[in-house]
Amino acid sequence: MTRNMAQVSLFAVGLLVGLLLIGQLRSQARPTEISTLSAQELSQLIETLSSRNGELRSALSDQRDTLREYEAAGPVGQSALQVGREDLRRIAAFGGLVPVMGQGISLEVEGDLDAIALNDLLNELRNAGAEALAVDQIRITARSVAVQGPTSLLIDGVPVGRRFTLRAIGSPEGLLSTIERPGGIIPQLEQFIDASIVASQSDDLDLPATQADLTPQVAQPDD
Amino acid sequence: MSVMANPGGRRFRTLSTWGISIAVALAVVGFVGAMQWNSSLARDQFTTSAQQVLAGQVTDLEDEQDTLRQELATANAQVQRLQQQSTGSSVALEELNRQLAVARLQTGLSAVRGPGITVEIADSKRVVPPGENPSSFIVLVDDLRDIVTALWASGAEAISINGERLVATSSIYGVGASVLVNTAFLSPPFRIEAIGDDGLLERFQAHPAFIGRVAQRIDFFGLEFASQVSTELRLPAFIGSTRFRWAVPSEEGP
Repeated sequence: MTRNMAQVSLFAVGLLVGLLLIGQLRSQARPTEISTLSAQELSQLIETLSSRNGELRSALSDQRDTLREYEAAGPVGQSALQVGREDLRRIAAFGGLVPVMGQGISLEVEGDLDAIALNDLLNELRNAGAEALAVDQIRITARSVAVQGPTSLLIDGVPVGRRFTLRAIGSPEGLLSTIERPGGIIPQLEQFIDASIVASQSDDLDLPATQADLTPQVAQPDD
Repeated sequence: MSVMANPGGRRFRTLSTWGISIAVALAVVGFVGAMQWNSSLARDQFTTSAQQVLAGQVTDLEDEQDTLRQELATANAQVQRLQQQSTGSSVALEELNRQLAVARLQTGLSAVRGPGITVEIADSKRVVPPGENPSSFIVLVDDLRDIVTALWASGAEAISINGERLVATSSIYGVGASVLVNTAFLSPPFRIEAIGDDGLLERFQAHPAFIGRVAQRIDFFGLEFASQVSTELRLPAFIGSTRFRWAVPSEEGP
């Protein structure tokens, strides 16, 4: 009887120790729980989330418009074709399958930019709202990443020289202010990399379609 | 001293053994409990009322985002259903719908399945030694970017991070210690799924983008890391804005 009670007690104590240890390990984790972020981090997060939610609201409104157009067009005829073609143009532009034009910024880069720096620059421009990007005549798609080749950087298997032009279509003011702000990507790169980056606004950028074949070989639609 | 020779002594020793075990366990409970109490007190001191208000706003925005994403996914599905209904109505429409399906597949707007690999990375469980930077022991946004770069460069055809599908406009962005992918605020552990052909894992693990920085951080700081080959992964479609405001197609569709 006493032995059983002792075993039960020991089991209960062991369980309690385990639970407390789990709690302790969790409390040592990163401060990603919202309540543990600093006021500055929270403010930055609010700004970013508000902006992204605005994009989602806009996307939802657009998609509901498309839905209404499809419903109004009906399943047959020229109207349905027209709505479908417009949808195809939108998707193709989004994914880099067709050339696009518009306002944005142009970066003249010259120097020893490594693959990490170029990928960071592309990531920063995307985050700043760039809708379409091209490095010289290479249109940047989801799969396009800069890697170090035998003699130069490569994107989609195409060499990128020490001197190249990076074009980004999007809000010219928004893109420029993001990458040039103190602590932004350009001041950072200029501090650590031996390269010059000259950014300017442009009213008429023409970006080519990707030359890469984006058709998956093993991925299948999951309907 | 024989146990058999003194049954009463055996009982005494048994009780003593249990007693000592329980006493030690209780001491551990007390120690761990005190550590937790102290650390929660320390956190509370830094959580001002202003922070609580801001944290509440973040939670509200995240809830709003969940709703928006669900509504957008529903609208996307409805559009695709209407397109599929019109298939067969005419040869031209049928061809157009085929092109739409291919374009969606190429650009990450379709859910996909196929063989591939899963990579998981999480913060180190090691206790941060005195004088060390605690941020070295957590997964940084650069780690995720390096992993994704290595995966694309190794031939991945589709990638998602914690269910966020990567597309041409996707960025992986750090806000303090937090990570934003597309519109979503993600927390560790980070689960990166990539569809690709045989040998993807070997190519990924040998790629300079992986071994250059993140593999060293895994070894040095004990970041939790695991990878696994799967015969079939299922990746969701991208949910977000696909309509450009500034870029205009300069020719007809593909």
